[in-house]
Amino acid sequence: MSGDRPRDDALVGRRGVGTGTGTGTDSAGPAPHHDVLVRAVGVARTFGKGRAAVVAVHGVSGEIRAGARLALTGPSGSGKSTLLHLLAGLDEPTVGTITWPALGERHQLRPGPVAMVFQGSSLLPPLDVAENVALPLLLAGGSPPDADAAARRALDRLGLADLAAKLPEELSGGQAQRVAVARALAGRPRLILADEPTGQLDHRTAAVVVDALLETADALGAALVVATHDPRVADRLAARWSMTDGRLVVPDGSLSCSA
Amino acid sequence: MFGLTWLSALARRRRGPLAATAAGVAVAVALLASIGTFVSSSKATMTRRAVAGVAVDWQVEAQNGSDPAAVLDTVRAFPGVRTALPVGFAATTGLEATTGGTTQTTGPGFVLGLPDSYRTAFPGELRDLAGAGTGVLLAQQTAANLHAAPGDTVTVGRAGLPPVSLRVDGVVELPEADSLFQKVGAPAGAQPQAPPDNVLLVPEARWHELFDPLAAPRPDLVHTQIHTALVRTLPGDPAAAYAAISGRARNLEVRLAGAGLVGDNLAATLAAARSDALYAQVLFVFLGLPGAVLAGLLTASVAAAGAGRRRREQALLRARGAATGRLVRLGLLEAGAVGVAGAVAGLALAVAVGRLAFGTAGFGATPLAAAGWAGGAALVGLAIAMATVAWPAVRDARTVTVVAGRQQVGRARAPRWARAGLDLWLLGASALVFWLTSRGGYQLVLAPEGVPSISVSYWAFAGPAFLWAGAGLMAWRIADLAVHRGRRLLAAVIRPVAGPLSGTVAASLARQRRILSRAVVLVGLTASFAASTATFNATYRHQAEVDARLSNGADVTVTESPGTVVGPGAAAALARVPGVAAVEPVQHRFAYVGADLQDLYGVRPSTIVGATSLQDAYFAGGTARTLIGRLAAQPDAVLVSAETVKDFQLHPGDAITLRLQDGRTHAFRDVRFHYAGVAKEFPTAPKDSFLVANADYVARATGSDAVGAFLVDTGHASPAAVAQRVRAVVGTQATVADIVTSRRLVGSSLTAVDLAGLTRVELGFALLLAAAATGLVLALGLAERRRTFAIASALGATPRQLGGFVWAEAAVVTVGGLLAGTVGGWALSHMLVKVLTGVFDPPPAALSVPWGYLTVLAGVALVAAGAAAAGAVRATRRPAMALIRDL
Ligand SMILES: Nc1ncnc2c1ncn2[C@@H]1O[C@H](COP(=O)(O)OP(=O)(O)OP(=O)(O)O)[C@@H](O)[C@H]1O
Ligand SMILES: [Mg+2]
Repeated sequence: MSGDRPRDDALVGRRGVGTGTGTGTDSAGPAPHHDVLVRAVGVARTFGKGRAAVVAVHGVSGEIRAGARLALTGPSGSGKSTLLHLLAGLDEPTVGTITWPALGERHQLRPGPVAMVFQGSSLLPPLDVAENVALPLLLAGGSPPDADAAARRALDRLGLADLAAKLPEELSGGQAQRVAVARALAGRPRLILADEPTGQLDHRTAAVVVDALLETADALGAALVVATHDPRVADRLAARWSMTDGRLVVPDGSLSCSA
Repeated sequence: MFGLTWLSALARRRRGPLAATAAGVAVAVALLASIGTFVSSSKATMTRRAVAGVAVDWQVEAQNGSDPAAVLDTVRAFPGVRTALPVGFAATTGLEATTGGTTQTTGPGFVLGLPDSYRTAFPGELRDLAGAGTGVLLAQQTAANLHAAPGDTVTVGRAGLPPVSLRVDGVVELPEADSLFQKVGAPAGAQPQAPPDNVLLVPEARWHELFDPLAAPRPDLVHTQIHTALVRTLPGDPAAAYAAISGRARNLEVRLAGAGLVGDNLAATLAAARSDALYAQVLFVFLGLPGAVLAGLLTASVAAAGAGRRRREQALLRARGAATGRLVRLGLLEAGAVGVAGAVAGLALAVAVGRLAFGTAGFGATPLAAAGWAGGAALVGLAIAMATVAWPAVRDARTVTVVAGRQQVGRARAPRWARAGLDLWLLGASALVFWLTSRGGYQLVLAPEGVPSISVSYWAFAGPAFLWAGAGLMAWRIADLAVHRGRRLLAAVIRPVAGPLSGTVAASLARQRRILSRAVVLVGLTASFAASTATFNATYRHQAEVDARLSNGADVTVTESPGTVVGPGAAAALARVPGVAAVEPVQHRFAYVGADLQDLYGVRPSTIVGATSLQDAYFAGGTARTLIGRLAAQPDAVLVSAETVKDFQLHPGDAITLRLQDGRTHAFRDVRFHYAGVAKEFPTAPKDSFLVANADYVARATGSDAVGAFLVDTGHASPAAVAQRVRAVVGTQATVADIVTSRRLVGSSLTAVDLAGLTRVELGFALLLAAAATGLVLALGLAERRRTFAIASALGATPRQLGGFVWAEAAVVTVGGLLAGTVGGWALSHMLVKVLTGVFDPPPAALSVPWGYLTVLAGVALVAAGAAAAGAVRATRRPAMALIRDL
């Protein structure tokens, strides 16, 4: 796999490092420190060892600031999910560092400032929909009545109020996916990472989900990163990073994303 | 060879679950093999011990008109006869002795003529008490009645002939008097109630001199028996030995062609041992089978934990075009591999257990029996593997095409058995069977008179079996209901571990209640099995101890020889012996109750319990304390046997006149007592009727304070060692017996069979099963929810919060299971002890609860649960990337 990697990819990475630390883009001057939600420096993630090793993410540097609206695109297997997991602090890079200057240490990210929508089904089978959505709030130390109220509001926003008492095994794939989005939006996250949140949805429902993501991000002043194959989804976001074979390909040379 | 590839792939990828399944099979195989082998070896022990206690194997009685010499020749020529000697029996009209200026006369009795070699040929028949061991010997009770001692002269009455006088050379005890004086050829019901009170033994030649003249006119009063010792090569099983021996006895009778009948003491003893052996078998079924069933259930739940995975694999294979037949064959192959591995491991474990517990791999059984049990156990192991591994695979292969493999949570309907109320039916059936069988007095082992074969009333098993199964299902129902409906309560209970998440944890537990309830049932069944087995064993051991104490009287018992007069003052000398904690004198006299001569024990009510323990079960109509209290309050009170109460229609407070021998005149005189209660058992007392009265009152009434025996309590010192020292003090004037030796000597009854080994094995397995049931079931359940924990962890749950989920589940399973086990174990113990009441002698007044073992049991369950939960928590601490990637 690593053999057929385009030769100039390495340049992109090196250039990325330069731009990420130096010149800003359209933002006025260097961002204040607390504005950088997540910063990656020379990050690589390799799975397995020796001959069987797979380099899922390689040479990624960049930062995401408050208010960013970022689409992460790329073909299947290009490393989108892996990168999101790294940015969420769920996984650790094999090489390089990831820091969250405005959010704190890795262990402080979830539940709380970082909300993640997983690509696959990620509902807890023994909990009903409302309980699933309320769980991160409870894990963050919220009181059960508050968590329940917030969960119901989030479900409402995604048009899922009727499903509150259902069990995950009783949901369709798309319904489960929307519940997962509701769960990510129920708290007050500052960074929302959504991995294919519309993968199993029709266009109209997908639009509702993207609306909800954008509205919530706007209301909370949060950054939003959506990994997606769907150009219509990507188009609704201000910036786009695209990936090929584990590397970021940035059209305008910018690896810093902000509002 | 796709099969082999498949197997090796299984061994690589599913090593853990396969090994766990094989381990379950191994436990079942080891349990069955070791207990089965133990039972067959203990049967052989029973045969050996039973036979060892028989003094004379056969008493062949020459029938009227036949020539005793010819009968003797036939017996001697019979194959397998080692020794045969003639013994003459003659009836006497009475014996008379004049000692110390008074003359005592007895009623009719027997005079036996013994050949010189008799005592060496049949050493168990006579025991010397005083004087020479040869010549003219008086039986102990006769000597007491006549107040005769060696050197005194006894006059023997002969019907229609002048009496003759003989000088007494010694006093002997006849330990086997019952069989010695049996009516040969008469059925058990027509046997004499008690052996004759008056017996004199004389040398063979002398006997012929005295009674040949009587034989001619009165052939009904004189007869001859040929006492026979056999070459004892017997089958191990008492039932088989019984059949062999009684068959040979009948064969001899055929040869004798009516000239003689065989009194078959060996077969009679084996008949008793044979029901004991059947009891041992019953114990095996009661105690061993549930263990094997549990191991099977455990195996099934381990195998079930991998079912989802197997279904997915089957679906894959099917998608690649594998036919149903091939899937079935693969399932059988996997089960066969698990079964064989489990059986081999189980047999190895059984060998190790045998070495550890009994010092031999074969548990002392014959190689054939051991091999038979090993083979049978291995077959059961294979059957378990087939039922738990192959059967579900085959069922799925035939019925499931593509299975979603979705986890079953939440809203599943109650299973069919629960809707039909099977648990209630089982409990009801258990109660009914228990009631029906208890009306018959729990005759578990049926040995009808005159019928050669005996049988077990297997109906009685149904009571405990139904109870166990019904209680298990009931535990499922209650756990299911409690976790489901009692969610709020559950949330409150787990708040300490789960904090603000308790509501969520309770909800998640409620939706997994099927898995939880199953785990609770397994833990409960194991705990109740272990608890009831342990309680049964403890009660059994306790009663064996009581039995030994009853027959020995106390830790050490010093019995004075008849004819010697020792007062209670001698206690002081015994009390000075190192290791002696307390000494209590007990008088032993004989008293006539009407025409019946009974043993009478004179005790000091205020101090008797200092040297021996009196159980409530020894008495009727009050506790030991109240009845001894009555003796203390009323000097002329007497405790009598239940038969005496019935025979004389006694009511409490009734006056009762006994005839006691006066110590000065040696004449029997009337003494008035008042009936105060019923004594069924008493230390040193015989099994039949006896009396208990105040020593002071008896001493005053008879003018003698002679003590029959001193009961010695040794406190913490070793009874055997103290007995040795006491022997040095009392010399030959008294016999000294200690409880340790006595325990070994208590007849052929099952109590005598050393069940310690079986107990150790069983209780060890029960602990193993308890650990496996809690630890393994919990670990597997938690492993099935790895995904759930991984998601929660990815959402940001801290280890503590994840721990809340895990520990709450562990707590529900262990606490629920142990609760169910306690209730079930309590009920089961009571029922077991009631149903198996026949093994207890005397029957227990209350259950002995082995608190130590139960604590260890609960501890093992808790530790296993704790280990499983801690492992699960550790596994969640670093969420597996593979799982998160699936999200
Ligand atoms: N845990 C893992 N072990 C081994 N390889 C992995 C692991 N996780 C990811 N990979 C590999 O890393 C590469 C990137 O995977 P990733 O899931 O990030 O792709 P993706 O861009 O999200 O694809 P998709 O659009 O299909 O979701 C793939 O080649 C994948 O096989
Ligand atoms: Mg992906």
